[in-house]
Amino acid sequence: MESKSSGSAANLIDQVVYPGDVVLDLSSMTNQTIKLGGGLRQDGDVISVMKAGRLRFSKPNKYWVESSQKRYVPHAEDSVLGIVVDSRSDNFLVDIKGPAIAFLPVLAFEGGTRRNIPKFEVGALLYVRVVKANPGMNPELSCTDASGKAGEYGVLKEGYMFECSTGLSRMLLSSPTCPVLDTLGKKLSFEIAVGLNGRVW
Amino acid sequence: MEQRLANSWRLTANEKKFIESALLSELRVDGRGPLDYRKLNIKFGKDDGSVEVQLGETRVMSYVSAQLVQPYRDRPNEGTLSIFTEFSPMADPSFEPGRPGESAVELGRIIDRGLRESRAIDTESLCILSAKLVWAIRVDIHILDNAGNLVDAANIAALASLLTFRRPECSLGGEDGQQVVVHPPEVREPLPLIIHHLPVAVTFGYFSNENLVVLDPTYHEEAVMTGRMTATLNANGDVCAIQKPGGQEISQRVIMHCLRLAHVKAGDMTAKIKDAVEKHNTERALQKIKRHSSSVAVDVCGTTARLGGKQNQSDGDKEGSRLDQLKLKDETKAMECDATSSAQVQSNKKDESLKNFIGGPSSWDPYSECVNSDLLKASLASRGQSTPSKQKESRRETKPEEPQKEIKIDSAPMDTALTSEQSNEGKTLKDAVKPKHKRKKKGSSNNGN
Repeated sequence: MESKSSGSAANLIDQVVYPGDVVLDLSSMTNQTIKLGGGLRQDGDVISVMKAGRLRFSKPNKYWVESSQKRYVPHAEDSVLGIVVDSRSDNFLVDIKGPAIAFLPVLAFEGGTRRNIPKFEVGALLYVRVVKANPGMNPELSCTDASGKAGEYGVLKEGYMFECSTGLSRMLLSSPTCPVLDTLGKKLSFEIAVGLNGRVW
Repeated sequence: MEQRLANSWRLTANEKKFIESALLSELRVDGRGPLDYRKLNIKFGKDDGSVEVQLGETRVMSYVSAQLVQPYRDRPNEGTLSIFTEFSPMADPSFEPGRPGESAVELGRIIDRGLRESRAIDTESLCILSAKLVWAIRVDIHILDNAGNLVDAANIAALASLLTFRRPECSLGGEDGQQVVVHPPEVREPLPLIIHHLPVAVTFGYFSNENLVVLDPTYHEEAVMTGRMTATLNANGDVCAIQKPGGQEISQRVIMHCLRLAHVKAGDMTAKIKDAVEKHNTERALQKIKRHSSSVAVDVCGTTARLGGKQNQSDGDKEGSRLDQLKLKDETKAMECDATSSAQVQSNKKDESLKNFIGGPSSWDPYSECVNSDLLKASLASRGQSTPSKQKESRRETKPEEPQKEIKIDSAPMDTALTSEQSNEGKTLKDAVKPKHKRKKKGSSNNGN
């Protein structure tokens, strides 16, 4: 039974799905937790598709629908490029091209304390990670990775930023390395930051 | 508040620095030089006076309409011209529906001043009955997509729509000559507006470095630039209007330099607008011939331009005396080539009625050519319509005159059918003596092709 259900699901993985397609039949799977990403919905016993796109699966149990558009829908653990809009006492307001402005807590930096709060001017470009992205709420960001280290996150200086579709930014981030970046690297050395929200620096 | 913040576009400090430093090396983000315009595309709609202009990514639509109204008390002999602008919210997230904002009003005023102060539109010809009835011309400009430099695009749209607008012809009637009869377009050909010259707006962007001047700024450049100036000039070099709404102070030397630049660009732009309008008028005339075989659309603007072209290029082809006849034939020829090619079943969009129409001329008298050309001249001069007989006769004349390659270039693709005919025929009027054979020959040669 499990093979049958995963078989039917596997048929659709990486395929183009349309709203209304049934992806998984939960009645045939027992004691399994499945994580649903964007574009999927639980309809009683059945998981159906809400948004047209490609069905993706990542081990161990996450399914989601991927499509390319100009809009960005924030999801947790996404690395995005944000623009500082305003600063409050306890967090910065950062625009990440989503439906709502995101909050970046003032302390969400490596070694961040009340004493060394960074100062960002309006219009500063930041590479940040989305921590929480619940629908209806303002997303929360962080300039550290899950373990608390700064990694590559932080403010991006100089350079130029342009906007693109979410599909293009995913392609630029794909592994193996996107051929465009390969060819560009042969001609000149550069540094690039790609946000899943459709911004490239 | 936060919800509204989320939807607007923001400028990053990185972009600002990048655009300014790239300009120092004369580079713009989209690859243009600092004084290059983006690609201009003028599309005409079905109605006379409806135009959509695309300048790069910026899209503007313009529509001209006319109404009979009472004139102003202090100008009883002049018609009126008014410009209305609408900044559609689909053009830019910062545009709000409802009352026009400051930039919308400013745009309308710049275009209005360029046309009104320079008297580009002849308002006295819009008067029907002094102090009672005049035409009020209304230009509606809709911004469809804002990608920078709305003023220039909107101005081009307004000019193109005014050039292609046709107002109904009216005549005075009644016992005391006071009754105005407005003829619908089916009865009498509508008339174009009298436009003396084309005031073209050229917008410059200034940056914090005094030496940086940019023409036709894009959306990002507009956000970065510190000052702006719009100069409205015509191709003769007359300055019709200048607008510099605050911003960075500019030295006199830079302003004079910009005005000289604007003069050059205005000349280019005028040529482009006129070309596009001419092409449209030709197509329009051809369409009219297709639809109404009984009334001829004689479009003077299009034909006069072609006349000029013929004059330049017809050296050594014909005797000088026949040059006039040729020109006239050329005008109608464009309309007719449509008919002829349909007869030869070459093009794909002709209707059956034209075939019957072509059957008529075979019995015409070819020697009446001279008379016909004079009549045609007279009819063209008065801008009235020519009668069907005139048109048929002129068609007869033009058949042997096809050799004009210039016509081919001007008119629509159906001319390709005629080129074969041109190469086949000799280039004298004597060929017109045997029109029947000619046409059949052409028919066969075309069908063979």
